[in-house]
Amino acid sequence: MTIAVIQEEYRGARKWSRNRQAVATVVWISFLSAAIATMLFFALFDPVELMDAFDIDIGRQGGYALGFFFFWMLSALSSGVTAWLVRTAPKRGQRRD
Amino acid sequence: MAAPAEKRGPEAAPMYESAEKIYPREIGGRFANLSRLATTVLLGLYYVVPWLTWDDRQAILFDLPARKFYLLGLILWPQDFPYLAMLLILAALSLFFFTALGGRLWCGFACPQTVWTEAFIWMEQWTEGTRSQRMKLDKAPWSLDKLRRKASKQLLWVTFSLWTGFTFVGYFTPIRQFGLDILAANVGGWTLFWSLFYSFATYGNAGYMREQVCKYMCPYARFQSAMFDKDTLIISYDAKRGEPRGGRKRSADPKALGLGDCIDCTLCVQVCPTGIDIRKGLQYECIACAACIDACDSVMDRMNYPRGLVRYTTEHAMSGESTHVLRPRIFVYATLLTILIGALITSMATRTPVILDVIRDRNALYRELPGGLIENAYTLKIINQSDHPRDFTLSVAGIPGIVLDGVEGKVTVAGGGVRALPVRARAKRDAVQGVAAITFTAVATDDERVARTEDSRFVGPMSR
Repeated sequence: MTIAVIQEEYRGARKWSRNRQAVATVVWISFLSAAIATMLFFALFDPVELMDAFDIDIGRQGGYALGFFFFWMLSALSSGVTAWLVRTAPKRGQRRD
Repeated sequence: MAAPAEKRGPEAAPMYESAEKIYPREIGGRFANLSRLATTVLLGLYYVVPWLTWDDRQAILFDLPARKFYLLGLILWPQDFPYLAMLLILAALSLFFFTALGGRLWCGFACPQTVWTEAFIWMEQWTEGTRSQRMKLDKAPWSLDKLRRKASKQLLWVTFSLWTGFTFVGYFTPIRQFGLDILAANVGGWTLFWSLFYSFATYGNAGYMREQVCKYMCPYARFQSAMFDKDTLIISYDAKRGEPRGGRKRSADPKALGLGDCIDCTLCVQVCPTGIDIRKGLQYECIACAACIDACDSVMDRMNYPRGLVRYTTEHAMSGESTHVLRPRIFVYATLLTILIGALITSMATRTPVILDVIRDRNALYRELPGGLIENAYTLKIINQSDHPRDFTLSVAGIPGIVLDGVEGKVTVAGGGVRALPVRARAKRDAVQGVAAITFTAVATDDERVARTEDSRFVGPMSR
């Protein structure tokens, strides 16, 4: 090669397996959904006031974190089950074992 | 979750494919310079902005612990939520607009994934060298030099990630105080957690996952084609000019050999971070980083052919038709954007910087007082949204002769502060039967335009 090039390696630039794609996509998309849900939810409700109702006290920032992980878990569960059902559904014309 | 079922499935795939490591080349050129510039400016902004001050406080601070957003001179409250929603819609619409106009400019030059990946690649190059050096290094057995190079790369990456996480949290909690807390090893659990969380995400996304995020995980990459039309700016290979491709000597006349301008050096494929061949046409994996344009231009220069065998163009231009920048799609997006920006600016400019919340006491419907009076209790919350202290006068109206008790004269509320006042409203027994609508009003003493009126209810006995 005659062209001067600054070269570098991409460690991650490889093809991912379907399972890896699915897991990464589920985790990432549910993360984004959870971020939006957390933003909307806590714009309307103050975690401190909510915690009063449930008689727990982990502080406002603890409330935000709890809310975020709750939303993440919920949306990951939904995305995960959806992805799993779509991928494992019997395909038309496919012989069953 | 899908793994076990998938393994038993008919098209069982191994958990990890024995993937071939790709070593794309990096190439200098116009677009590489542009991308370097974009990365420097955007990252510079990201790391500098939290340190800017405005009126002795952080200029941009989304103070989540205090539930207040500071944007330069503006203080936003949870009640200002519609602005946030409008901003998000505005951001989405802008993305549509610029995608229709310029294709995936966002992906190639502005997306945080691209920008941080670029920065991580710089660090990789400083420590591990050029592509061939890196390939050799990876094949070589562990030596002191390899250890030193790999370790210094990791050191740079980790330090940079930690600083990124620290800065991220600095947008949500005062950064100077956070910095001092870290130095004093006195950091609150959640701030520490989130800064490490963001650091780790940066490290993983920019260090290892890179363009895989665009290929497999990014929704925008999949749906952006819906915003494309034949007049959208795309990166394209000029097949008419390039084909039939083939190697030849520099001195040879391609026409005499029956060849097009493509010398089939495959450099455009080698530089592609997503590993596609642009000569096969537009593919959704293309993040429009324009590395292939730089690569091909450098080859064309060496061959003394005109540049632009791979170039930014439109489908219409490619097929010899004229490109229309102004087209219905653009007008629709532009109109919506203009309306929304106008609405946002107007509502921000005319926003009254005071909020009045009225909460009726839930414990008692009403209280009867001697002298034929009925009393209802309320908590008034006055939020002063300006950044200087203000005096307010409070009043109640809606029932003849209704008076407010519990407030003496003016109420002072600190700048950006909240004041909760327990008050009582009193009315004559004959003036009210059942439930009546009343209003509370707070007016600033220094500017009567700064006023808010809130509805509430006054409850009296059902029968007189």
